[in-house]
Amino acid sequence: MVVKTAASVLEKFSTRRENLIPMLQKVQEVEGFISPESIKLISDKLRISENEIYGVSTFYAQFRFTPPGEHSIYVCMGTACHVKGGQQILNMLEYELGIKEGQTTEDGRFDLNRVACLGCCALAPVIKIDDKIYSQMSVLKLMDVLEKYTQSVEVTDE
Amino acid sequence: MANNSKIKLTFNTREVEAPEGVTVLRAAELNDIYIPTLCSHKDLSPFGGCRLCIVEIEGMRGYPLSCSTIADDGMVVLTETEAIREIRTELVQLILSEHPSSCLICKEADECKPFTKTVRKSGVTTGCRYCPNDGQCELQDVVNYLGITELSYPVIYKEHEPERMDPFFDRDYNLCILCGRCIRMCQEVRGTSVLAFNFRGNKTRVGTAFGRNHIEAGCEFCGACINVCPTGALAEKASKWDGIPDGSVIATCPYCAIGCQLELFHKDGWFSKAVPVHDSEVNDGQACLKGRFCMGEVSHHFERARKPMARIDGYWKEQLWDEAIEKAAEKLKDLKPDEFAMLISPDCTNESLFTAQKFVRTVMQSNSIDSTARSSLGGGLPFWERMFQKPIKIQEIKKAKTILAIGLDTRFNFSIIGVEIRKAIKAGARLVTINSRRSNLAQYSHCWLQVEPATEGIMLDALVKSLFNNATDLKKELKLSGVKKEKLADALELLKGQDDLMVIVGPRIFSYTDNADLISSITELSKKDNVSIIPLYYGTNTRGAIDLGAFPEILPGAVFKGDEKTTKKLESAWKVKFPKDDGITIDKIQAGECRPKVLYLVGAVPFAQRPDCDYLIVQDIYEPDFDVDLYLPATSFLESSGTLVNMEGRVQDAPGVEKLPDSVMYGRARPDWWILSQIAKQLDVAGFDYESSDNVLDEISDLADGFPKSGRIHRKMDTLRVETVLPETVPVSAKPRKKSGFLLVMQPGGYSYRGVDITSKVEGLQILNPEEGFHLNSEDAKELGITEGEKLIVTAGDKSGTACARIEDEIPKGAIYLFKPLAFGGLKDRCDLEQLFRLETNPCPVEVKKVGV
Repeated sequence: MVVKTAASVLEKFSTRRENLIPMLQKVQEVEGFISPESIKLISDKLRISENEIYGVSTFYAQFRFTPPGEHSIYVCMGTACHVKGGQQILNMLEYELGIKEGQTTEDGRFDLNRVACLGCCALAPVIKIDDKIYSQMSVLKLMDVLEKYTQSVEVTDE
Repeated sequence: MANNSKIKLTFNTREVEAPEGVTVLRAAELNDIYIPTLCSHKDLSPFGGCRLCIVEIEGMRGYPLSCSTIADDGMVVLTETEAIREIRTELVQLILSEHPSSCLICKEADECKPFTKTVRKSGVTTGCRYCPNDGQCELQDVVNYLGITELSYPVIYKEHEPERMDPFFDRDYNLCILCGRCIRMCQEVRGTSVLAFNFRGNKTRVGTAFGRNHIEAGCEFCGACINVCPTGALAEKASKWDGIPDGSVIATCPYCAIGCQLELFHKDGWFSKAVPVHDSEVNDGQACLKGRFCMGEVSHHFERARKPMARIDGYWKEQLWDEAIEKAAEKLKDLKPDEFAMLISPDCTNESLFTAQKFVRTVMQSNSIDSTARSSLGGGLPFWERMFQKPIKIQEIKKAKTILAIGLDTRFNFSIIGVEIRKAIKAGARLVTINSRRSNLAQYSHCWLQVEPATEGIMLDALVKSLFNNATDLKKELKLSGVKKEKLADALELLKGQDDLMVIVGPRIFSYTDNADLISSITELSKKDNVSIIPLYYGTNTRGAIDLGAFPEILPGAVFKGDEKTTKKLESAWKVKFPKDDGITIDKIQAGECRPKVLYLVGAVPFAQRPDCDYLIVQDIYEPDFDVDLYLPATSFLESSGTLVNMEGRVQDAPGVEKLPDSVMYGRARPDWWILSQIAKQLDVAGFDYESSDNVLDEISDLADGFPKSGRIHRKMDTLRVETVLPETVPVSAKPRKKSGFLLVMQPGGYSYRGVDITSKVEGLQILNPEEGFHLNSEDAKELGITEGEKLIVTAGDKSGTACARIEDEIPKGAIYLFKPLAFGGLKDRCDLEQLFRLETNPCPVEVKKVGV
């Protein structure tokens, strides 16, 4: 399989300013995140400063600036989950993984994100890891779930 | 605005006039009607962020924003109704809930104010110190206007770390109210786009990409963001705690030939800060880091010399002015014309330059006056004379359709030019740059021709040949400059068929030994009608030096020596017989061809070591680093007044802001013209009875056309009148280059003021340090096995020099760039490189090694 790089996908765009967001989206699609290098590439091509591009891209929640981890954790912060203690779940995850929301752990295993609603409010508070929903979370249940992921990876590693 | 018609509208009960097309807010401002606002600024586009400028307009629903509503004929605007007041109060309270506001709503503010300036050794809380509190806070004004004394919202402290790492200014975004003025200034006016809003919602903050520091983010440190900040979030380090200034004068920046108009503020008799004036003739409200931030430290540095000094029996002794003048006169008495030479800095005022050349020609009966400007005027004086005869207009750049910039980097030098170029690009202009290394303009260029080091001239020649002479065979040029054929075709595509062409030549490329192509192609371009050329050069008042004859071959009035009419005029005015000798030039002294008995340096220190002479007199603001026999302290730009000629030929006023009594600190320094006229009087030569710089200017205006009388400085554009032109100097022709090994490329440095390199005095410049060391490519560095800051030894024949390595990605491989200072005062590292600076060719093939290998 040919690995697509940011440079190669950016080639087909013209140098019009309006292309900024599509370019950012394409880069994120290919590389999984927006790196300083790809911002520089876009900057040189569109003749917009890197700082301006960074300002635009941080405005949108869809862009991330750290490489995604093996497993993506989404913590729901919708109304129902909020009322049922979603914030504590997020705090606990931040503490346990040693990262802040939007970042990736040093070993590259998890990245942590917040979402507004996952659409299953009856199960609040919920988190989603990759594509699997974990319902009615508590701090204790959270530890069990996390352990499952850390262990399963270790097993496959061997 | 082209449209001059006026409209009438009513504010509250008052009927006023305003130009058509302005916003309601601007119409109110023009008529001195106050509408509170925090985010709008007359130079910037409407933003509508603070929403304080709401008004009621008859026939409009709700509360329109006056900053983004265009004023219309017959509008009836209410600015202060009860409803508006209520909304504004609410809005300001919301802003204050995120802004440390103890100074604004503290009940004890009035009692506390007199004590906040208490000087104590230990930290004692006297008043709050969240912000500079220097009376420039517009938020304070709005709070006072609305009479807010308490807050009904909980206060949130944003807990941003104050950013103090970058030079020249501090940023405390806890005080930021997100008005976006700094961002709009940086993006719209400066065109640099270093600042942008990052993130959104309550996490929004002003910043750079990935939280980089400003140096990495490409900041020019022009300070324009500070000038528009309505709070204390952005503040200049040096003047931050100076408090409310006592007053100001408008002066000309002493650091380069653009001659920006700056407002110099003073406090307690001392200079506090410099802020660019909105002067649409020259700098249009902008400045660069040198003018904005480097004035105080250069003039107030602790190493600044304060008293006349003389070497007497081997001892370095303090002198009174009378003694020092007597000593100088004694040494200068009865010297033959070839036993004396004077070098003067082009940073001196017109008055000083004029007095100096008059001193040499009448008192010393010699033509041995030369200006160090000669070293940076590559191509010879006649070439520059011709350049100055064509009008040079900085404000025309923004109207240009096509711009060709050669060897130009405007980040820290001539940044006004960069601002104007970016304005032109915004208006649709095309920019082609020729540069061997990446410049700050590369990003904005439509085509960047990256050439081999020191071949910018060859490339320009190729462009001129194909644009105007339809030359097609450019193989030789392309091979020498290393540019691909397609790239050149791109550039030609952009340049061809345009009605006008603005050519801007950077100051650094004139210094190459082989500049024949550059000079000849510029000369050819200057003959075309639709081409404007802006040649940049270092030396603030170089044009004044040429105008006033501070060169052996030029007489006052920019007339070449030998012109009988002028000689007669000057002889009758000064009542002397004019000297006929050729005079000693700086080149001859540096090459060791002449050895003057007495060498008199007026603000010029183009030597790293003591030049060979019997008696050395130095008259400058700092003592040089080598042995001197007599030192006379001169005043800096802050202490004395005078006039300067900028590159366009405007004669501009540079009044001093500090009038210090004789006893304190630098109070004993004297203007150059005063010192020289005192020595002349001591030697009983008539014609030096100057009381003030105005007397000198009056004499100048009698003898040199175009100079105004004192008190009547009109700053009109002016071109020099040259009656006899020197024969053209033949530029050195192209030689084949060596391909192996490294090529040492020397470029003149741009941070001199008189005899010192201001980098050595200004702390912020030391952090930026754009000029020290050998600059080379990262791949070359890897091959040599060196890292940033390690020492390199560069050898060319029997000459060598050592300095640290500076690694940059965008430098061409195989080249080593070195900045050759115009003045050596205060330099540390680069003094060891004097052997290299005296190399005969530039660029020069060299060998490079790591020290200790």
